[in-house]
Amino acid sequence: MSAPLRRLQQAPRHLLVCEKGHARHARSRHEAHVRDHAYNCRVSVLIPECGMLPQVLKSAVADLGEYYVVRGLPVHQLLDLEFIECFVRKGSCYALAYNTRIDQDNTAALLPTGKLILSVDKDTYEELGLQGHPSRYSGKKPMRYIITIDLTDSNFHPDGKKHKRVLWALKEKKPLEFDFLLAWYNSGAEGSTLMSYFPKNQIQALKPKVTFSTLRDLQCPVLQSNELEGKPEESCSTEELFEWLGAVLNQVNLDNVSSSFLSTYCCPQPNTVVDQAFLCTITGFIIPEKIIQLLEQLCCYFSEPKLAQWLTLTVHGFADSPVSWRENEHGFHKGGENLYNFVIFRNLDYWLQMALGTNDDCPP
Amino acid sequence: DTSLVSSYSEEFTVKVGYSAVALNHIVDFKEKKQEIAKPVSPSELFPSLPIVQGTSKRLKVLTRLTLVVSDPSHCNLLRSTSTNIRLYDIIAVFPKTEKLFHIACTTLDVDLVCINVTEKLPFYFRRPPVNMAIDRGIYFELLYTPAIKDSTMRRYTISNAISLMQICKGKNIVISSAAERPLELRGPYDVANLGLLFGLSEGEAKAAVSTNCRATILHGETRKSACGVVYTVKKLHKIEEEETVPACKKAKTQA
Repeated sequence: MSAPLRRLQQAPRHLLVCEKGHARHARSRHEAHVRDHAYNCRVSVLIPECGMLPQVLKSAVADLGEYYVVRGLPVHQLLDLEFIECFVRKGSCYALAYNTRIDQDNTAALLPTGKLILSVDKDTYEELGLQGHPSRYSGKKPMRYIITIDLTDSNFHPDGKKHKRVLWALKEKKPLEFDFLLAWYNSGAEGSTLMSYFPKNQIQALKPKVTFSTLRDLQCPVLQSNELEGKPEESCSTEELFEWLGAVLNQVNLDNVSSSFLSTYCCPQPNTVVDQAFLCTITGFIIPEKIIQLLEQLCCYFSEPKLAQWLTLTVHGFADSPVSWRENEHGFHKGGENLYNFVIFRNLDYWLQMALGTNDDCPP
Repeated sequence: DTSLVSSYSEEFTVKVGYSAVALNHIVDFKEKKQEIAKPVSPSELFPSLPIVQGTSKRLKVLTRLTLVVSDPSHCNLLRSTSTNIRLYDIIAVFPKTEKLFHIACTTLDVDLVCINVTEKLPFYFRRPPVNMAIDRGIYFELLYTPAIKDSTMRRYTISNAISLMQICKGKNIVISSAAERPLELRGPYDVANLGLLFGLSEGEAKAAVSTNCRATILHGETRKSACGVVYTVKKLHKIEEEETVPACKKAKTQA
């Protein structure tokens, strides 16, 4: 009888990995981590002791680029030789199926490494007839299968058997069609753009939405860059910072007023009260290259003396994306969070926190 | 006015996050002369189905029949093949006595066995019929709407559910609402959390609202479509003659 009660006291399995480093160190892995997390839907920047958009961020925020929404795109069109030559092989092409739920429907995603990932349910897998492996979070009877197709493989050319089989499966046996979010990054010569490749009525270009707000009289925890665990009475730990940041970004009241029944959360001790803090939120299909630029600009923020001791950059991934970091499978049990958070200090030390939900692997 | 209520509920179900809904008709045999009517086709009730929130698919609406049986003679209806029963997607039975529970689990051709949650169980569950039901692919159904309405029923819901869990170990459970109003609906992830209270593990609780329901629908489809297997055997000395031997029951359904 006590087993259900015990289970109620435990939260569903979740994982928070904290790393420490220095942004200018030669072997710093911050760019690698950002690059590995391909699909990002929201970026939030919180700068304490700042009232308005800093100069360093102005250009980065203005230059976020565009992403495209293509409705009703059959997956076999991503296998076209022209598409692979123009977009997949040159630069980085990101595509993610939109308006699908990872725990119920079929999903597709194209990684910048050229791998096409299809996450399909049991019926679709059996009808499709392609080689895949059961999902790791599926239980004893697999209900979900993951199919990976490498588009840049040398064996994968239009005359090969592999290509013919995949094309036949996706075109005739069981045509799969999704609404896709697409983005393409090409450093270097301009080639044809995605806008010109797809017919006009299908594709729509969108810009990420940017909002700014200033928070007044915010309680901020005191942090020391070399103390990840926090010292009692001196600084807060990374877990406490993570919870506090979640509360602030979700506009939870930190007062713990006795009349409020919604939240009894308080800012962790020790903390200081800052007059104002600047919060910038960017929502859309944001590619890692832009986030690296943003990170660089934020490091330049501290090149001039500032009141703030630290600032944070939080990036959320899509809840229904089939992959989290690199090709690690991502699932949705009761929450599909896969996010990471940078805390950058004045001396350019950084803390990196990567958080995952129940059906997820440990990030690299 | 049933159609008005239903259409309002459908809009709410997609907002809350369900992708398939079954409309239930309850038939109680205590009253005399109960005729089972043909199920109302969903396309008549809802000319255009709403799209499920967060996806681009439409809501799937199925029809379901619940038979409340308190006497073995009531089960005869299920054996006959020429009634409107065949037109329903899912058939559930609500046994009121221990003997009927045993019959429902072992021999009756149904998809779901409903567990009483509104009053104290008149009988205890025993392992043999429960295990047979699990082998046959029959699922046990628990309702959560009575728990929302009344605190006494809440106690009975939890105690009956926990006693079922002790026997079946969390397998083959489906949690559903018996909602008559949109306010009595709860989101699928909330219902999965309720499953934790009944003693299911995290994975089993989520399955109780997702994969087990899919399995029940498939069980209903196979029940509707498969009647028997016929195979022919050639006799050795008479080459032209062929003999047909009707096989007994259909094969075990595997979800």
